[in-house]
Amino acid sequence: MPKVIAITKKELAAYFKSPVAYIILVVTLVIFNFLFFMIIDQNREATLRDVFQAMEFIFLFIVPLLTMKVFAEEKNAGTMEFLMTTPTNNNVIVFGKYLGTLLFLSVLLLISVVYYGIIEFYAAPDWAATLSGFLGIWLEAALFLAIGMMTSSWTKSQVVAAITSYVILFFLYFSLTFVKYFTGSAETVIKYISTMTHSKNFFVGVITLTDLVYYLSGILFCLLLTRLSIETRLWR
Amino acid sequence: MITVKNITKCFGSLRVLNNISFEIGNGEIVGFLGQNGAGKTTLMRILTSYLTPTSGDVYYDDLNIQNNSLEARRRLGYLPEMPPLYHEMSVKSYLKFSAELKNVPVREITASVDRALSDCRLNNVCNKRIGVLSKGYKQRVGLAQAIINDPDILILDEPMSGLDPVQILQVRTLIKNLEHKRTVILSTHILSEIERIVQRVMFIKAGSVIKDTSIDSLAETENRTFVVKVKSDEQFLQNVLKDITCATLLDVKTIRDCCEVSLSVPRSEENVNTIAAVLTEKRVSILEIIESRPSLEQKFIEVISEEDHA
Ligand SMILES: Nc1ncnc2c1ncn2[C@@H]1O[C@H](COP(=O)(O)OP(=O)(O)OP(=O)(O)O)[C@@H](O)[C@H]1O
Ligand SMILES: [Mg+2]
Repeated sequence: MPKVIAITKKELAAYFKSPVAYIILVVTLVIFNFLFFMIIDQNREATLRDVFQAMEFIFLFIVPLLTMKVFAEEKNAGTMEFLMTTPTNNNVIVFGKYLGTLLFLSVLLLISVVYYGIIEFYAAPDWAATLSGFLGIWLEAALFLAIGMMTSSWTKSQVVAAITSYVILFFLYFSLTFVKYFTGSAETVIKYISTMTHSKNFFVGVITLTDLVYYLSGILFCLLLTRLSIETRLWR
Repeated sequence: MITVKNITKCFGSLRVLNNISFEIGNGEIVGFLGQNGAGKTTLMRILTSYLTPTSGDVYYDDLNIQNNSLEARRRLGYLPEMPPLYHEMSVKSYLKFSAELKNVPVREITASVDRALSDCRLNNVCNKRIGVLSKGYKQRVGLAQAIINDPDILILDEPMSGLDPVQILQVRTLIKNLEHKRTVILSTHILSEIERIVQRVMFIKAGSVIKDTSIDSLAETENRTFVVKVKSDEQFLQNVLKDITCATLLDVKTIRDCCEVSLSVPRSEENVNTIAAVLTEKRVSILEIIESRPSLEQKFIEVISEEDHA
């Protein structure tokens, strides 16, 4: 679909033209660098799992900042009225925008891991675990983005969008820590929706169908809700 | 042809449009007039399928635009009230993006962008970032976006706002050139701007169309008003005017050594001659006789307040 590409390109270009994106890029790299050396310092050797977990933790904070503008800004600037009166299918709009944010984050992820890759190269890494770790962190980021974009489609305000996605992401991320207060089916559900349950498998080199289904269905679910919300003009 | 059937729009408990129905033929240029908050923008948003009406239907020819909105949007050019611009994009890349989203065939995109740029006199800023443009230029970019796909139906919400007089003239020519070929709906508050381009005006008040008439019949009134400028003493003139039976005296004003008499005369050439004859007979020297046509502004105020009395 050429229109998906047009929207993706526009979205991506908007990131690279805004100072916010560069600030996020730099801050992420600095924090990651810091965490990475802390991990090395403590463990004497960098284990893959720690590094990926650090990255996951950073994404928890930066993804809402990247996604908050996706729809909220369009609604505020009146460009939503333009998008929605062109002969463009809503699926195309949602998917094009999603792809744009995903590509930007992928670039960020790639840059983050370059120097890590160099170190790892000399340490004779476990390639399978490395690759599955990457897949895991990428899927996790993709899910975070879908959630962030969904909250951005709910409101005109970027601040409200960011805060709402922090609430949802923190709930998903930290739910495993309070699972001990629950029993029975509540416990099972909370364990299932927690992102940690699924990401940790990838980080140790285990790819299971359940985990893949969790991420892919989560992403799809958020994209569908996003489409629904722009269709019904939920922010009005 | 655009057919609007019983459109009602409510926002919560607020009824913004109240059972509006009308038809607009192909090639017509129609103006929506109404005070702030009358519902013009809301009506336009429904006509573009951006908003769904609470009840009622809109058709482009036989096409129900709610059920076939993608099909309908292919034929549409729309300039929203606030020009929908991506501030970080350059004028050219924005227009290219618009053309892509509006199904302009790939081979024709460059030509369409160039045509829109020159139609809206944007050539000299085409590589500038939209965010740094002045208000009038931003408005022109919005307009260029609306015409980029050469639409059959053009809906423009206050297209002249923020433009300088030269540019207003150009936009007027641009729209006038579409006459008979494209259907154009526009709204404005500056009525003198659209007086010469629209054929038909619809007065909208509190969500209803209170008057729908051709611009020519709007200008026609039962009585014509003439302003006669004479060189005379006001006292003497008052006496002379008593002899004029065919006209109603509206006003007499003395400006330096001249008097300006406003008279309301029933439609007939005869009467003007009679007035002139009476004045000449009494040796009042006539400097000029002009017919004062009611401006659209006056009509607008008249129509809007007529309703209040009714
Ligand atoms: N999304 C909305 N939610 C609630 N009320 C709305 C909404 N949009 C418009 N209205 C109300 O509908 C009414 C009509 O608004 P609209 O913008 O259509 O007026 P307008 O004729 O275009 O006015 P103007 O000349 O100022 O542009 C107003 O009372 C406005 O407050
Ligand atoms: Mg308006």
